[in-house]
Amino acid sequence: MDTNKIKVIIDDKEVEVVRDTFLLKAIQAVGIHVPTLCHHKDLTPSGTCRLCIVEVENGGEMKLVTSCNYPVREEMKVYTQSDRVMKHRKLLGEMYLGRWPNVPAVQDIAKRCGATDKEKFRSELTDENPKACILCGHCVRACDEFIQERILDYAGRGIKRHLTMPFGEVDPHCIGCTSCAYTCPTGAIEIIDDINHPDNPKLIRDYGMRINAEMATLDKSQNRMREVGTATIVEVMDAYDLLPVHNFKFGCHPDTPKIDSAVLKAKYFTQNHPDGCWKGCSMACSKAVDGFELKTGPYEGQKVIVDGPEYENAGACANMGCFDGDFVVEWNFYCDTYGVDTISFGTTMAFVMECYENGVIDKNVTDGKALNFGAMDEAMECLHEMARGEGFGVEVGQGVRWLKNKWIKELSADADFLQDIGMEAKGLEYSEYMCKESLAQQAGYTLAVKGPQHDEAWLIFMDMVNNQIPSFEDKAEALYYYPLWRTWFSLHGLCKLIWNDVVPADNKTYKPQIAAKVPGHMEDFFKFYEGMFGEPIDEKSMLDQSARVHNLERIMIRMLGYGTRKEDIPPYRAVGPVTEEEYESRAEKYYDKQMKENIGIDPEGKTTQEKMKIVRKYRTEQYNKVVDAAYDRRGWNRNGVPKIDRLKELGIDLPELVEIIKDDQESRTFK
Amino acid sequence: MIIVNNRDKVEWKEGMTVQDLLDEMGYHFRLITVTVNDELVSKFDYGSFLLSDNAKVGVFHLAHGG
Repeated sequence: MDTNKIKVIIDDKEVEVVRDTFLLKAIQAVGIHVPTLCHHKDLTPSGTCRLCIVEVENGGEMKLVTSCNYPVREEMKVYTQSDRVMKHRKLLGEMYLGRWPNVPAVQDIAKRCGATDKEKFRSELTDENPKACILCGHCVRACDEFIQERILDYAGRGIKRHLTMPFGEVDPHCIGCTSCAYTCPTGAIEIIDDINHPDNPKLIRDYGMRINAEMATLDKSQNRMREVGTATIVEVMDAYDLLPVHNFKFGCHPDTPKIDSAVLKAKYFTQNHPDGCWKGCSMACSKAVDGFELKTGPYEGQKVIVDGPEYENAGACANMGCFDGDFVVEWNFYCDTYGVDTISFGTTMAFVMECYENGVIDKNVTDGKALNFGAMDEAMECLHEMARGEGFGVEVGQGVRWLKNKWIKELSADADFLQDIGMEAKGLEYSEYMCKESLAQQAGYTLAVKGPQHDEAWLIFMDMVNNQIPSFEDKAEALYYYPLWRTWFSLHGLCKLIWNDVVPADNKTYKPQIAAKVPGHMEDFFKFYEGMFGEPIDEKSMLDQSARVHNLERIMIRMLGYGTRKEDIPPYRAVGPVTEEEYESRAEKYYDKQMKENIGIDPEGKTTQEKMKIVRKYRTEQYNKVVDAAYDRRGWNRNGVPKIDRLKELGIDLPELVEIIKDDQESRTFK
Repeated sequence: MIIVNNRDKVEWKEGMTVQDLLDEMGYHFRLITVTVNDELVSKFDYGSFLLSDNAKVGVFHLAHGG
């Protein structure tokens, strides 16, 4: 028997509910209407208006309870319209009507309760205003729960109770999010501001509030962005073999629990209140560490505030093999303070460490530092050197491509090996996700305009875990759609995190291919656009708008002498195992399995080197096939250059753009 | 044999629930949707929903990275 489900009989209708479901929800689920004033579907129930009272029979005992905040924990019978209930409700209706006789919401409720006498409770408190505040508390809870502020609250007691900002003054901390007005049932709070003069501010507000409500009600059971921010995925990436470890050799590590979100929350995050990119973001996923005493560098011994850490910081530390919370926080602080990108530094340092461990470089190159994986003191010193403009740190600051070229030229390093393990493309270091087992993401990284950053496409779960884009055409479609969608909303100043780090409750009712797009939030974003500009937009128009920008970017890169297939080729480490150690660590789960099931070769009896060669050939061919398919879908030729016909389709076949790419139109096979 | 996401094979055992399967796969991500033979399974039922042999299970993770 499933003890999670509890049987409830409501006015002779039987229903099974999940333990701790509030009774009102169960009542509504069987189609029975119970009047409410203080209840709001997106706010924590408060039980203050008392109108939702019902009679509950449990073990022969009858009692009146407010159903909105009564959690179901045992089998029971419920009576929503017993004589006792109706008598109480009518009395309440008369009292509300006596105090606010002209408020439509009160009149409606009173009628439902059978209360019609406006005079019975008329007194000096009676407020004739049809838009009077009825003290339901929606606004107080919305301010707290939607936007995590407490600008509005009650003051006074008993008959003097009223709604106010602190000390009765307009609080400058109010950012005008309008959550209070959105939830007010009487119109007592009105919006008179329309900053930026959007075409339809109400449309924007209404759809924005849907996201605010989801943050208040769903985030805690979904990604916990308010609680731990993007650090929530440190342990997820580790569990799914996607956390880059030791310069992207491995996808997980036994020491990950030392830097995961549980540790960061328990030991470091201090403020525990909203810290959004901008004041008013209802997700507010940024985190802060207060009073952190630095152990190194120019501020050694000082206590500082650290903004973060987030997933990429922890991921970069895993990549360097530095599994220590103090290191993550201090390194995060100094990268921010020096203006250094944590991803580029982390990925570059991971490359340096692998080169050091393989004898490509030694202490003569590193100014005496033993830069093995996990060398926290030495990695930190490199960061300080970089900022001071001295020593080996300055060279690290030039990035992976520069170091590869220097060491090949000056140290006669093995160029093939450095090319294989140097995790950069287009001169940019890879962000902190392992893409070896996801063909779509390999191309998602390298086809991104700026280089291997994941903000155009993050397809790993769709591809590697869900297997929802199995064919080359499926992957190409994802490599067409998602970069355009992400480019589109970024262009409009909309955030990826509210797109799919919290999702509407009904999202799981869609088939996976649709669910992945989060249709509810696409609608929200389209309505923001419409509310701002005054014209509706649909998916096709969105894709075309974005494709104009995307193709223009690709042509501009071509103008600079890049933007062809050879710049879209990843280092092999992003595609498959470079070293024997790497192959063997994941042989059973991925590589031998792939040989047997996909390539059709029995790995039995073969040396690791032989197997690596077979897998490499196969994976390289697969990569090229997916790139071909993605280029085709985007309307680019096999050299990755937009076709002039595609520019015509998009209406951007301007002579100055055609001039840049006209000599690249010949379609050949490029490998 | 249970087929997960049209690809992965997991040995079926008597009394196996959706939760048992998720544990075996190491699928503990919060934003997942489970279907069994194309029918949606509520997360509240993972611990009680019994899988039959040869069931086709879909475990859809909704995640798009940072």
